[in-house]
Amino acid sequence: MKRFATIVTLAALVLLAVFLLYPLALVLDASIRIDGTGGLTFANYATIVKSRYYLGSIGNSLLAAALATALACAISIPLAFCLARIDVPGRALLLTLATLPLVLPSFVSAYALVLFFGHAGVVTTALRGIGIPIGSIYGLPGIVIVFTLTLYPYVVMPVLAGFQAVDASMEEAARNLGGSQPYVIRTVLLPIVMPAILAGGLLVFVEALENFGVPAVLAEDRPFLAVDIFKLFAGESDANPAAAGALSVLLIACTALTLLVQRHYLGKRRFSTSARSAPAKLPLTPGLRLVAAIMSWGIVIVSLLPFTAVLMVSVLRFRGPVLTWELGLVNYATLLSGSYRPLLNTLTLASIAAVATMLIGAPIGYVVARHRTRLSGLLDFVGMVPFAVSGTILAIGLIIAFNSGPLILTGGWLILVIAYVVRKLPFAIRSSSAIVHQLDPSLEEASINLGVSPIRTFATLTVPLMASGLVGGLVLVWITAASELSATIVLYASGWVTTTVVMYHAIEGTGAGLAAAAAAVLILVTAIPLLLVNRRISKQETTVI
Amino acid sequence: MTSIRIENLTRTFGAVRAVDDISLVIEHGELFTLLGPSGCGKTTLLRMIAGFVDVESGSISFNDQRIDRLPAHRRDTGMVFQNYAIFPNHTVAENVAYGLKARKVPLAEIQSRVDKALERVRLEGYGPRSPHQLSGGQLQRVAIARALVIEPAVLLFDEPLSNLDAQLRTEMRIEVRQLQQALGLTAIYVTHDQEEALAISDRIAVLRHGKIEQVDTPERIYRMPQTAFVAEFLGSTNMVPGIARAFDGRDTHVAAAGTEFTVRGEIARPGASVLLSVRPEALRLGDGSGGALVQARLALREFLGPMQRLHATLPDGTQIRISALGGQVFDGSPGAPLALSYDPAQITAFPAS
Repeated sequence: MKRFATIVTLAALVLLAVFLLYPLALVLDASIRIDGTGGLTFANYATIVKSRYYLGSIGNSLLAAALATALACAISIPLAFCLARIDVPGRALLLTLATLPLVLPSFVSAYALVLFFGHAGVVTTALRGIGIPIGSIYGLPGIVIVFTLTLYPYVVMPVLAGFQAVDASMEEAARNLGGSQPYVIRTVLLPIVMPAILAGGLLVFVEALENFGVPAVLAEDRPFLAVDIFKLFAGESDANPAAAGALSVLLIACTALTLLVQRHYLGKRRFSTSARSAPAKLPLTPGLRLVAAIMSWGIVIVSLLPFTAVLMVSVLRFRGPVLTWELGLVNYATLLSGSYRPLLNTLTLASIAAVATMLIGAPIGYVVARHRTRLSGLLDFVGMVPFAVSGTILAIGLIIAFNSGPLILTGGWLILVIAYVVRKLPFAIRSSSAIVHQLDPSLEEASINLGVSPIRTFATLTVPLMASGLVGGLVLVWITAASELSATIVLYASGWVTTTVVMYHAIEGTGAGLAAAAAAVLILVTAIPLLLVNRRISKQETTVI
Repeated sequence: MTSIRIENLTRTFGAVRAVDDISLVIEHGELFTLLGPSGCGKTTLLRMIAGFVDVESGSISFNDQRIDRLPAHRRDTGMVFQNYAIFPNHTVAENVAYGLKARKVPLAEIQSRVDKALERVRLEGYGPRSPHQLSGGQLQRVAIARALVIEPAVLLFDEPLSNLDAQLRTEMRIEVRQLQQALGLTAIYVTHDQEEALAISDRIAVLRHGKIEQVDTPERIYRMPQTAFVAEFLGSTNMVPGIARAFDGRDTHVAAAGTEFTVRGEIARPGASVLLSVRPEALRLGDGSGGALVQARLALREFLGPMQRLHATLPDGTQIRISALGGQVFDGSPGAPLALSYDPAQITAFPAS
C-alpha cells in the first residue's frame, strides 16, 4: 500500500514540477532579467510601478473582480436562501439551470452583450433609431455584468449547501428560546453560512482576476491585467516578455494570496453541522412566494439569456456587422466552409485532455485522501497551485520552457493538451479525493485481508467504486477544455486552431456572423454533455467547491 | 491449527503509546477477547495482527512463524469489520467468493464452498442478491461467511456486533461463538462491551492505555479482578475507599464510609489505604441470614422488571447501588433504613493509589 502511494506521489510531483513549477519559475525568471542581455534587474517592476497605464491595468482588474464578487454575493445569497427554504415552483429545474453558467464559456456571454448592446448592437441601433442614446457597455460595466452573471454559481452552490446543512432543531432551538424569525436568520443562519459565502466569493474574485476572454471581448481600450499580459507577450508590435513576466508574477501573487486567505479562514471556521433533518420550507403568503419565485427565476434566466440569444442570432443573416431578420444557416456555412479542422481539433484535444486529466488526477486524489504523509501533503498543495495560475500565464511559461532545449513542444498539439491537463488537474484531484472520502476504507482493507494485493485492490475494487463519480469529472473537464481560450490563444499553432480561436479572431475582425456560429457551436458542445450527466455533475461541483 | 505468540509488541502514534510492550500467547482454537474502553489500544493491536498497522518493535508469530513482516494480503487472516465492509458492487455470493478467487481456487470448488458458507450463516439462497437488499444483521452474516470460507489461520473480529441493535447483538454473539467452536478456528475478538466479552470468550485480556491489566477466563476476570480498573470496567461495581484495621486471623476489618466492612484474608497492613470493590449483587437486603452486615439508608428505588436497583447512602453519605431480584418483595420508601448483608469473600480489595 505504502509503496503504491509513494510511487504515485513521486510520479505526480515530477510531472507537476516539469509542466507546472518549472514553467512558472521561468516566468518569474523572465520578470527579473534585462531584456536581451539577461542580467538581473528589478527594472521591469519599477517600470510597472511608474507607469500609469500598468497601474491602471492592475487597478481595473482588481476593481472589476471586487465589484463582480460583491454583486455575485448580493444575488446569490437570496437565491440560495430561496432554493433552500422556499417552495419555489420548478425548484429542481432551477437548480440545474443555476449551475450552467459556470461551465458555459463566459466570453460567449460577453460576446452576446456586444451583439446586443455594442457599438453596432441590435438594441443600441434600435434605440438610437428612435432617438434614445445608450451608454457604452464597454469597459468596466460590461465586464462586471458578465463576471457576475457567469460566476455567481460559485457562491450559490456552497451557500445553498450551507443553508441546507443547518439542522432544523438548531433553528427550532433558537425560536424556542424566544428569537424572532429575522433575529434567528441574523444570529444563527448567517453565521453558519458565512464561511460558505466567503469561500464562494473568493473563488469568484480569483476567477474574475484571471479571466482573459471577457476583458478581451469587452475591454476595448481600457487596460486589463490578463489582456495586457497576453499582448505584452504575444503582441506583434509592442512585445515585452520581461514586462509580461512581471505582470504575471503580480497577478499570481494576487490570486495566490486570495486563495491562501480563503484556505486559512476556512480551515479555522468550517462548522460541521451534520443535519439530521433538513429545515422545513418557510410558510409564506402567496404574494411573498411569488416575489421569491420571480426573483429566483429572474436571476437564472437573465444569466442564461446571453447564451440563448447567441443561439438564436446564429441562425440569422448578417450584412457586414449588421444583423438582419432573415433566417438562414449562412453563418454555419461560413464557419465550416473554411475547414472542419477547428471543430475537429476542439473535440479531439478536449477528449485527450479529459481522459489524461482523470487518469492522472484519480490516483493523486486517492493518495491525497487515503495516505496522509508529508510528501502527499506537498502533492496536495502543489496540485492546487494551478488554481492560482491563469491560463495565459501557464501558457507563457510552457512556451518559454519548451520552445528550445531537450524537449521542444511548441507548435504541436501536445503542448495544448499539457496546458489543459495541468489547468484542470486540481479539479480532477478534488473530485476524486471527494469520492474516495465517501468510500469506507475498510472496504479496501477487507479486500487486502482476503488476499488481494493493494495495487490490484485499487485497480479492481476502488476504481470501479469511484467510476460513477469519475465519469462526472471527466465530462466537466472535457467541457471546460473544449471552451478553453486563455491558454489556447497563446499556444495554438497553424494546424491546431480550435473553435475558441476561430471565434476570438472573428470577434477581433469583422466576422460577426462567423463569431455567432462559433459561439453557438461552443454552447452546444458544452451544454449537451452537461445535460446528459447533469445529476452527477451538480453533485461534483458542490464537492469541488 | 494455529497458536499465536505476541512478544513485546509496541506501537506509538506521535506521543501516544497505543500498544505498549504487550506479550500474549493465544492457544489453538481459543476465542480470545481484547476488552477495554475506546483508546485502550485493542483495535490497534488487532490491526497490527492483520497487517494494517506497522509493528514498531516486537514480534507476532503464528505457530512459531513470524508474520509481522508479511504484507497484509499474505497473512491468511479472516477479518470481520465493524461496519461489515461488504463490497457494494458485488453480489452476496461474489463477496463470499472474493477471497477464494484471490487464492485461485478452482471455479467449481468456489461454488460449493460459497454455498456451504452461506448455509452456515443461515443465508442459503441469498447468493444472487445485491448487498443493499440485506439488513444489517444479514450483512454481518455475509461478512462472517466471507471470512470463514477461506479457512483462515486466524479469525479477527473488530467490534463486529456494535452496529446492530441490542437484541440482534445477543443473538449474533451466540452464532459467532458456535461457528468458531464448530470450525475449531483460533479467533481474536475486539469489543468494548463487557457483557459480550464475558458471554463468548475462552479468555479475556483487559487493556488500558496500551497495556494489559489482566488476562484470564471470564469468571476469574469478573470474580477476581487484579486491579481496581478491571473491577470497575466489568460490571458497575461500588468502589469504596477505606483504611485497613486489624486482621483477626480470618478477615480484615476496613473502616470505610463511616462504617466498617469485613473482607476475607489479610488484605493490607493496619493503617493502609485500600479501595474496596463491592458488587451490587453481593449486597443482600437484610434477611438475617448471617454473614457481615452494613447499615444504609434508601435514597431511590428503580424497578427494572426482573430486578430492582436500589440506590442507598452509607453513614457518611457515600452512594452505593444494590441489585435485588425483582421477585423479592421490597417496597421501602426513600429514607427507610436498610440492613445489607454480604459474604466477606465476595469483596475485593485493592491498594489505594
